[in-house]
Amino acid sequence: MGRGRLSRLGAVAANTFRETVRERILYNLVFFAILMTFSGLLVGQLSIRQDEKIIKDIGLASMELFGTLIAIFIGVGLVSKEIERRSLYPLLAKPLAREELYLGKFLGLAFTLLVNVGLMTIGLFLTLLATGRPADPQLLKAVYAIYLGLLLVVALALLFSSVTSSALASVFTVGVVVGGRYSDVIKNMREVAPGAPEWLLQLLYWALPNFRNFDFKDRAAYGDPVSAAALGWVTSYAAAYVVLVLVLGLLSFRARDF
Amino acid sequence: MTNRLAALLLVLVPAVPWLQGRVDANLGEFRAQEEALYLWSGRHVKAVVPGFEAIAADLYWLRTVQYFGGQRAFAGDKNFALLYPLIDITTTLDPRLEIAYRYGAVFLSEPPPTGAGRPHEGVAVLERGTRALPDSWRLRQDLGFFHFLFLKDPEKAAEVLTEASKIPGAAFWLEALAADLLAKGGDREKSRRMWRQMYEQAEEGVLKTNALARLQVLDAFDAADRLTAAVKEFERRHGRPPSSLGELAASGLARGPIVDSTGVPFVLDRSTGRVGVSPRSTLWRDDY
Repeated sequence: MGRGRLSRLGAVAANTFRETVRERILYNLVFFAILMTFSGLLVGQLSIRQDEKIIKDIGLASMELFGTLIAIFIGVGLVSKEIERRSLYPLLAKPLAREELYLGKFLGLAFTLLVNVGLMTIGLFLTLLATGRPADPQLLKAVYAIYLGLLLVVALALLFSSVTSSALASVFTVGVVVGGRYSDVIKNMREVAPGAPEWLLQLLYWALPNFRNFDFKDRAAYGDPVSAAALGWVTSYAAAYVVLVLVLGLLSFRARDF
Repeated sequence: MTNRLAALLLVLVPAVPWLQGRVDANLGEFRAQEEALYLWSGRHVKAVVPGFEAIAADLYWLRTVQYFGGQRAFAGDKNFALLYPLIDITTTLDPRLEIAYRYGAVFLSEPPPTGAGRPHEGVAVLERGTRALPDSWRLRQDLGFFHFLFLKDPEKAAEVLTEASKIPGAAFWLEALAADLLAKGGDREKSRRMWRQMYEQAEEGVLKTNALARLQVLDAFDAADRLTAAVKEFERRHGRPPSSLGELAASGLARGPIVDSTGVPFVLDRSTGRVGVSPRSTLWRDDY
């Protein structure tokens, strides 16, 4: 990849990041800060000695939930809104390849999410320290896995946004993300619905992204060890799936007639 | 237009809390969370929050604590109807939340007005806990204690405590306690040993307070027994029972206060000569 190509990719990514900041996406951090402050102040009194675990649970779940919402609802607009507003045409008229635009958008939103998750992690650690609890580095493994899952959500949102309108893309992305959270249910569906065709269930199980893979929240909150091998396999899975979805999206984006 | 809207806002902002106050006054400040009755089972709740089971369990645990505290403090009939379903949902969502089993069992088992007075449900919660956390000797110890203290089943209690003693890291005295349970008599002393263990193991909070209260109850019943013995001695010396505990105290035979540790006087049943804890006292129990 040439230097010029890299610099164009970087420019699109930086512009996408600025755009998300302008859209006040990072305002969710204010809500997170309030949530963490109240958790720190109140949970200890309400929960009977479960404050540390509950603060960790709230922090990690918020990261995942807010991150997923941002990834879906900003992700689906990155390409489709440009098409709907016709602001894509002047961009494509510039010396900018379609894949540079597409990947730049992905990297820009990925960076926004990295900033978001990073600041939330700092907020979670500060809350733990302020309540006299240790800032357990084990939590970083769960945060890392959450971030991998968010990258996959961004890739999916971009894929759908490159083939349909932003509204439909939202519906499809939400559907796949929710479906992917039920992967284990799909796998064991025949136990409750013996008539369900096994080939279909197997197909769904292998095809849908398994978002349960990225869920180390519980283990981190209870201080269970998470092996490097487990994180390595999850990273490989995320990398393979993200690249696959990005390639599909790129193919579809390139095939579109603008 | 803007001024009118601002005026409307000025009226509405204080009106909302005022109206809420009227609703509370009408329906009672504490309203039972009836909606929990419609909340299916723990498995159903789990199915709708994939990936967020732990935080859902936390929320249900907070609700359980609030519900228990609310019922105990404000509810008229104190039926604790939703307590078991709430604990069930909490522990289904997070089977490793040990505190929910331990506290939940106490909330359920203690007799009213302290708890729900449903020891079988309390024991069922602990049994689920021992299945979910087989390496927790404390949960199994509590299960053994509850079989003895609330279900009055020393054989089962001894069996469970023996199992608990075999779990790595278990307290050394569990096996000896299990053997003692099978010996006849001295039930109050056995209960005292169990409550003292629970008191010493618990951190500050509900479990410790409850264990301390139970120890005070046992002390009060011991004091009542000593007074009963003093009444018998009085009768032997004077040929009649004392007319009141005041007379017993004046005779010098009482050798201790005639009120319990909460300041409520013990009661003398002149027909039997027995002294007991007053039903007006918070230390009164019908299970000793």
